[in-house]
Amino acid sequence: MKLFDINTAIGHWPFQQVRNNTSTKLRKLLESKGISGAAVAHTHGVFYKNCHDANGELAAEISKHRDFFTGIATINPTYPGWERDLQECVEAFGFKALRLLPLYHNYSLKSAEASAIIAAAGKMKIPVIIPACIFNFRQMHWMDIPRALELDDLKEVLLGNPDTRFVLTEGAVPVSQLADPSGKSLFKNLYIEMSRYRSAYGGVLSNLIRTIGADHVLFGSGAPFKEITPALMKLDNAEGSVAEKTQMTSGNFKKLLNL
Amino acid sequence: MKYAIAKRYKCIDAHNHVWGRNGRLDTAEAENVLKAADLVGIDRICVSVPLTHDCPTPEEVRRNNDIAIEAMKFSKRFLGFCFVNPGYAREATAEIERCVVEHGMVGVKLYHQYFISDPAQRPVMEKAAELGIPVLMHAGKVTDPMTRAAQPRLSAAEHFLQALKMFPDTMLIQGHIGGGGDWEWNLRGLESISGNNYYIDLSGSVVDAGIARRTLDTVGEDRVLFATDMSYEEGVGKVIDAGFSERQLVKIFSGNMEKILARRKK
Repeated sequence: MKLFDINTAIGHWPFQQVRNNTSTKLRKLLESKGISGAAVAHTHGVFYKNCHDANGELAAEISKHRDFFTGIATINPTYPGWERDLQECVEAFGFKALRLLPLYHNYSLKSAEASAIIAAAGKMKIPVIIPACIFNFRQMHWMDIPRALELDDLKEVLLGNPDTRFVLTEGAVPVSQLADPSGKSLFKNLYIEMSRYRSAYGGVLSNLIRTIGADHVLFGSGAPFKEITPALMKLDNAEGSVAEKTQMTSGNFKKLLNL
Repeated sequence: MKYAIAKRYKCIDAHNHVWGRNGRLDTAEAENVLKAADLVGIDRICVSVPLTHDCPTPEEVRRNNDIAIEAMKFSKRFLGFCFVNPGYAREATAEIERCVVEHGMVGVKLYHQYFISDPAQRPVMEKAAELGIPVLMHAGKVTDPMTRAAQPRLSAAEHFLQALKMFPDTMLIQGHIGGGGDWEWNLRGLESISGNNYYIDLSGSVVDAGIARRTLDTVGEDRVLFATDMSYEEGVGKVIDAGFSERQLVKIFSGNMEKILARRKK
């Protein structure tokens, strides 16, 4: 079973040293855990005012690893020129997804600016990746963000853009919030990266898979910020057929990113 | 399972919980704990039933400890830790006596009602030392305003260093280095740790790269305990990824905890 990781990054985090944060080192680390490819974003894009510069850094950084890494654009829709930036990321850099960081870039997903870029991503048929957080906020530096995104931050945008596919990474939205009282999934356009869902205890990941479908769950590790084996174990301990696990580890990744 | 801890380690989870209501064990949850332990290769599980509000009464405390006692009867794999509120000194020491001497519990569990270095802890600490059992303290260095406000008396490294001077005969276990706070703060604060009465457990949901390795490098392999605090894959996965030697794994998974358990006075 080939493993693809939807949740990796390169670059420095300003508040904590992160090792294995170059494309070469990260690839080596991921491969050592049996991972065959990964979607990667540049952490500098979280902090640069003009965050598109980080997309250029990402394109250069992964240029020798195109057989392994798929680039994710990080764009701030409140900053001038984002339309050109998005176009350059997709057409010139070959990136396959857009990452939005409303808490770090200080806007609401319900804003006109967010609506515009989400519509643009929908037209380009690329998914929108939204991290609930990057580092756990309970250990935050005083200059960092004191909370994670929750489902309430996303609901309106999910329901208002049914043709755009969204991926929530680093989230732990309770499974009960993702279904109606009959157990039917509420958000057909929401895909969830699984690294924060418990598996052995209480079968939460299995419940997630049953509720939103294996075709809406993606393997992700959070490397290099996080250790990788916990996510591998959760996948291993989850209930699911080989076909379902194959969807989570490679099929959904390729389909979402048009690979 | 592909990633389970090998049986030869006879792994002890030094920090975990069972739950229940009105003094009765939720047996379905207890089964869930055992099932999860089986999946990841844990043999025995230290469990407590703490109360997290500001001032648990002796009656509430006793009811919760009854849940842990029932768990120990439910499965011999459960090793009970007696939760107490040090604010009720006389009742707390009597409760430790009841749980440990009468019912065979193996440790004391404290929550954030008081810092571990608060003088109010003295009767509890002295009772634990008298019985030769460890005190496991809920701990961390949370830095976000919301959690800080919710846990204003959360013990961190500096409190443990002070407590070790105040209570030199008591074994202290600093709970969950991965419990969600600034673990680097804690490790920097522990660089001067010495003596044989301090331990730290690796539990918690935080799996930041290098957390387990840096914990061991800071406090030494004789002071690190494997634990999950209900985060099973996180608990095991961060130890696997740390790349510890066989000798270190033997100590972390059970050797260090076995030494603690062996100090219990009969």
